Amino acid sequence: MSKVLYVIDTKNKDYKYKIDEDTIIYHFSINSSSKVTIDLITEGVNLYYYYNNINYDDNEFNIKVNHKVGNTHSELYNHGVNVKNNKLTYYVDGIIPKKSAKCICNQDNQIINIRDGKSTIWPNLLIDNYDVDSNHSAYIGKFSEEKIFYLMSRGINREDATRLLLESFLINSDSIDLNKIDEFVKEIDKI
Amino acid sequence: MLEIKNIYCSITDSDLDILNGLSLKIKEGETHVIMGPNGTGKSSLAKAIMGHYKYQITKGDILIDKKSILDLSVDERAKQGLFLCMQDPTVIEGVSNSEFLRTALMSKTGEKVNLYSFITEVEKSMKEVKLDTNMLHRSLNMGFSGGEKKKNEVLQLKVLKPKYIILDEIDSGLDVDSLRIVCDNIRDYMKENKDASLLIITHYPRILEYLKPDYVHILKDGKIRKSGDISLALEIEKEGYTGIKDGQDE
Repeated sequence: MSKVLYVIDTKNKDYKYKIDEDTIIYHFSINSSSKVTIDLITEGVNLYYYYNNINYDDNEFNIKVNHKVGNTHSELYNHGVNVKNNKLTYYVDGIIPKKSAKCICNQDNQIINIRDGKSTIWPNLLIDNYDVDSNHSAYIGKFSEEKIFYLMSRGINREDATRLLLESFLINSDSIDLNKIDEFVKEIDKI
Repeated sequence: MLEIKNIYCSITDSDLDILNGLSLKIKEGETHVIMGPNGTGKSSLAKAIMGHYKYQITKGDILIDKKSILDLSVDERAKQGLFLCMQDPTVIEGVSNSEFLRTALMSKTGEKVNLYSFITEVEKSMKEVKLDTNMLHRSLNMGFSGGEKKKNEVLQLKVLKPKYIILDEIDSGLDVDSLRIVCDNIRDYMKENKDASLLIITHYPRILEYLKPDYVHILKDGKIRKSGDISLALEIEKEGYTGIKDGQDE
């Protein structure tokens, strides 16, 4: 059984975690910058980090995951929606020093620009050990027109199709308890 | 009636013509088949009718019950009764099958859909197409096999009850049993909805053993070159397209 944490930001905040047991963190941010530092300090621990962000002004998300010991596992899913013509920047670092063998360190980063915002993702994997499994991906753009076409071809108008895609993008795990993120769900409706 | 009137179609922002003066009339209750070599414009025709963003009609018209649909958006065309069963249905992670279908049904009827009656009806239809009912709660087409994707298209058809159905290579990638299940369900649908009509796009006459066509058309170079009955499909199976001469078989 993993420890589950819910975080909702409406102001800029810094976070530091020392992970010594399996942990899932659901981090929701409404128009704010966050700096997150995570140390995985116990062998065998798994970390799942879901960052979901609605953005209206210039903001940054900076996350560093340090695999301080070997045989640790991190999965980051960072999803942002950049609503206006502003700047949204993600710095995402996975760090594995030489002494930490057999780690898994993955990150998936996506930012959807609703208008013509300037978004940037810096996905960094700083790995100093050969016995590691690590992947990263980054996407910046609009929602796929092919997906919108498919939804519309069943009679759903563009606005509702976009809303379906927005909700699935920003609440990107079936395990999220919607009662705990009421404020964020209401904010999705405002986009 | 769905009427395609001398349409010319190209890919958006390109001069490449795909359809060159294609005409077709599909009356209520009729089943038409379009066959043709690869790259001849069959799937493009299906997508152009549905209003896909990559295709633009440069000349001619498409009419439903004598009214042009060219200015209608994709969802408005769907509300006019058009339904495209896609060759490769799109995967949408995070949007559940049930959420998608319920939203589509509400869009069609303009009314709130009672969750209990919706689930009951959809689960009944899922059993008929032999889809596991758990798939209702999974992301749309995500992790579905080729056969499951096609059955899911037929499930949507059964729930949304369209009038003008286009099957774009629904038979591709289906095993014998799945093809029979898919076709049985479409045939039952056509029996229950006498005013519905069908446009089947296919490479293989096998599907026509299950869904008997009224007309078979051969599409080549973006134009219908020959029309006939099911014997034309069997002739193609035997002789290929090279032996087919332009003209109309009665």
